[in-house]
Amino acid sequence: MTKRRMFLRMITASLLRRRSRMLIALLSIAVGATILSGLVTIYIDVPRQMGAQFRSYGANMILLPKEGTHMTAESLQEVLGVIPEAEIVGASPYRYVRLDMPSRQQSFITAGTEFSQVQKTSPYFSVEGAYPEKTREVLVGKEIAETLGIKTGSSIELHYKTSGTAGQGQAADAAAGETLTGSAEGFNKVIVTADLVLDEEGKIASVSVDAASQTPGIGSLVGTDRQFLDQFIGKKLPLSLSNTASGEDAADEDHVVDAVTGATISSQAAVDAMNNAVLSGEAAPVERAEQFTVTGILSTGGEEEGYVYMSLPDLEKLTADNAVDVAELSVTADAEVLEEYCRAVSEANPDVTARLVKRVTRSEASVLGKLQALVFLVTVVVLLLTMICVSTTMLAVVSERRREIGLRKALGAADNSIRKEFLGEGLFLGGLGGLIGAALGFGFAQVVSVNVFGSSISFQPLLLPVTVLVSMVIAAVSCQMPIKRAVAIDPAIVLKGE
Amino acid sequence: MALLELKNVSKIYGDLKALNDVSISVEKGEWVAIMGPSGSGKSTMMNIIGCMDKPSVGEVLLDGVDISKEPQKVLTDIRREKIGLIFQQFHMVTYLTAVENVMVSQYYHSMPDEAEALEALDRVGLKERAKHLPGQLSGGEQQRVCVARALINHPELILADEPTGNLDETNENIVLDLFRQLHREGTTLIVVTHDPEVAEAAQRTIVLEHGRVAREIINENFEA
Ligand SMILES: Nc1ncnc2c1ncn2[C@@H]1O[C@H](COP(=O)(O)OP(=O)(O)OP(=O)(O)O)[C@@H](O)[C@H]1O
Ligand SMILES: [Mg+2]
Repeated sequence: MTKRRMFLRMITASLLRRRSRMLIALLSIAVGATILSGLVTIYIDVPRQMGAQFRSYGANMILLPKEGTHMTAESLQEVLGVIPEAEIVGASPYRYVRLDMPSRQQSFITAGTEFSQVQKTSPYFSVEGAYPEKTREVLVGKEIAETLGIKTGSSIELHYKTSGTAGQGQAADAAAGETLTGSAEGFNKVIVTADLVLDEEGKIASVSVDAASQTPGIGSLVGTDRQFLDQFIGKKLPLSLSNTASGEDAADEDHVVDAVTGATISSQAAVDAMNNAVLSGEAAPVERAEQFTVTGILSTGGEEEGYVYMSLPDLEKLTADNAVDVAELSVTADAEVLEEYCRAVSEANPDVTARLVKRVTRSEASVLGKLQALVFLVTVVVLLLTMICVSTTMLAVVSERRREIGLRKALGAADNSIRKEFLGEGLFLGGLGGLIGAALGFGFAQVVSVNVFGSSISFQPLLLPVTVLVSMVIAAVSCQMPIKRAVAIDPAIVLKGE
Repeated sequence: MALLELKNVSKIYGDLKALNDVSISVEKGEWVAIMGPSGSGKSTMMNIIGCMDKPSVGEVLLDGVDISKEPQKVLTDIRREKIGLIFQQFHMVTYLTAVENVMVSQYYHSMPDEAEALEALDRVGLKERAKHLPGQLSGGEQQRVCVARALINHPELILADEPTGNLDETNENIVLDLFRQLHREGTTLIVVTHDPEVAEAAQRTIVLEHGRVAREIINENFEA
């Protein structure tokens, strides 16, 4: 038998046949190793996972219309074409409009969006209830819900109002095909009214004037003179009379008409009435209302809790336009590629600006940094505790084995032999404990990961030897004090029969 | 030439002189018994001879080397190479079997050899119990394992401190027979005992009293 085999036989016998104490040391090393390998697994794996989550689910790019232009759902769809479809995890259009709730004398910012996309670009949205699926369903921010006592299933009526300052062109568009009515003061301050219909281009399609109040045979001709009335067809508002026009207007054939001879005042009144018809039609505040069912209460911990969310088509029905204010995108690509996509977007549609959202990455980094620092700290503390525990146990073991150590020395064991034997036992314990710990640690990390982060963890093969090695080092370090004690034991105690 | 020579050796613990100017000499191959009342310094002397303690005053020559001047490391080497120890309380490594306990001695000395260790156990009549742990052996059997362990490396000098103190008649005789065999093989034996019968088995008895050599008795009836 070789010396090495005898050495191994002695230390394994010591560990196997004197179980209780060694089991405690083994247990503490195994627990330490479990926490070490578990936390390190989390330390390594979770940032990877969280990073993936942030990257693949959080918005990391936003699209905005250039000032003075506006985006629509269609133009957005077009622009998205420049980014490979596989890399787009989600793209949420947002249209923000202030809607009123007259029953409560409240008004909120309401966002029109696509809920299926929102769940991808804003995974941190937490909805109590459900996301809207049908039309006329809304999500209400928690803050609103709490102040107004709105609950899932509540019904709310929201109103859209224009303030009446909308631009001429837009109102004219809206009025296409409809009959507009206007009035103006004519001769003797008596009212002349005009009805007119505009075509899609804003040109007058048909017109009728009620001038019965004017001087019969003179002013009243304004309402009956076909020659006078026919010249309006194809003209655009605002109109003016040729004899009163400035040089500029005179040159603009689209807007200039000739007066009925001898009835300038009545003609002017007719023209004013028509101008007023359109202008008042445009200027009149529009109000549209709709009844909505609340399907869920949204909490995000942010300003979103003060918003109401509805589907884009629902909002479009209220606002009667299809503008999109901003789009949030989540794209799986790293920073450089993202920059490239930004440029490509601007090239594809010069009216759209693409920007990278730095906020997510920064918070990601800080959250991960803190998490890692915490894990590091806990690991160090646990390792220290393990060392203290192993050291104390080994000290107890040494005093328990005083006689045996004295005996070995009396039998001729050199100090180095004693050192080697205890270190051997320590390393054996460390290795075994590390092995157990690596296995348990993986399980521990798996449980934590599944419960806390909702995803399973991948096994890090390198972690096994590392855990075993670290455990052995820890055991070896912990054994130093006990070894010193052991070496100092006097062999003479054996003869004294202590 | 004497294998062991103590010249004016004293061991002083504070006011107490555990050994007081002791001079003795033991020849190679000699069998010496040491007697004396409790506290007379017998174990103290054995510790010094066994290289586990150093005298306060005096020289101890073992095989011509003054072990009172050597450093601890050298003392360990000498103990390992030349001395076999047997103790009153049969000290065994509790978690090793009988044969493994014998092999521990081989391990520190040179090479563990299970066959040789079993042979030594056979010599003390314990071959059958080789695989038993100390807890499974009687006191006498444990003491015989310790004898086997002491002789396994063929030491020049065997020191036994009350080897039969806890043994019955039968076991005492077994141990004494082993000593006789060792003596015949030329091993030097120093045996501390309270038992006159054990002392009578030796060639010479040194009696200690209050740390001094009170007298020496030559055993006229010694038979090898
Ligand atoms: N380390 C020590 N410190 C102080 N005094 C000691 C020490 N070792 C031994 N003594 C004292 O020295 C004296 C001799 O002790 P020793 O052990 O040699 O006696 P002994 O002859 O072996 O007695 P016994 O027959 O009871 O074993 C005793 O009085 C003892 O108390
Ligand atoms: Mg004694």
